[in-house]
Amino acid sequence: MKRLTRQLWEKNRFGLIAFVLALAVSLFFILRLGIFWIYWSDPAHRLQPIEGWMTPGYVAYSHHVPKEAVIEALGLTPDGHFHKTLDDIAEESGRSVEELKILLNAVIAEKQKAGE
Amino acid sequence: MIEILLEWMSHYGVLIIGVTTLLSCLALPVPSSLMMLTAGGFIASGDLTALPVISFAFAGAVFGDQIGYHLGRGFGTRILSRLSRNPKRAKLAQKATDYLRKRGTVAVFFSRWLVSPLGPYVNLAGGASSMSWMRFSSASFTGEAVWVLFYVSTGYVFADRIVEISSLLGNASGALAAGTVTILLGFWLRHSLRSGQARKPADNSD
Repeated sequence: MKRLTRQLWEKNRFGLIAFVLALAVSLFFILRLGIFWIYWSDPAHRLQPIEGWMTPGYVAYSHHVPKEAVIEALGLTPDGHFHKTLDDIAEESGRSVEELKILLNAVIAEKQKAGE
Repeated sequence: MIEILLEWMSHYGVLIIGVTTLLSCLALPVPSSLMMLTAGGFIASGDLTALPVISFAFAGAVFGDQIGYHLGRGFGTRILSRLSRNPKRAKLAQKATDYLRKRGTVAVFFSRWLVSPLGPYVNLAGGASSMSWMRFSSASFTGEAVWVLFYVSTGYVFADRIVEISSLLGNASGALAAGTVTILLGFWLRHSLRSGQARKPADNSD
């Protein structure tokens, strides 16, 4: 191994350095993949928290609750709001995104409890 | 940064997806995979429609590939001819371009989706080695179609787990790309041991 390394160092120094670097980067990604895999296999981590970029439709879909329930909780009329993000809705209605998140989380909890 | 892009996506919709895939084909650090996954999620939730998302993502990617290829053709050939003034380098450059001309289609196809972080460099190399435009484009079209359809449909299916899937796919893709480079460098090292040549220059694209 030592002899081989020396031989390679003499014949193709750049190649050897690049090889070692590429190997290190590969291992880094494999390690990260493993860590994320373990992290995400915990069901508690899978619940995607509500974020400002999400639309009411997306919140409803990803939390398995009816879209109408989400629209209603936000105090919106059923049409014309699907493409707006929570950030937009918060700004237009003079509320904070945090307030909306609390409202939505309550609705989601309620619907999930009811088994809908 | 990612939040802003996602916010833009719900404002400007599909156009931003096309811009993102285009930029990512030029090796600019934009989260194109995450964008496509999220777009897939938005299709599932009824906020976006599938056809425009797929068309724009595909058009952006293919257009980005063409820019890379033509950049390689314009500047790369000039750089190659300058390198080739040195006879040893000329031989190596010749080998690399011959290889790409022969096997280029496979390299272009797989670097679109399976080892996509390598894509932009393959575009430049393809252009620099004067790979036939037809062959480059057909591999680029099919490969980008696989890339776009894979990510958008994955986002559609796993709409409620976008962040999770994105982090797993991102690392898997990084590992595959770095692993491929490691294997290729391994072949090069083996070759240089066997041929018993003197040191090679640092700037070759084998």
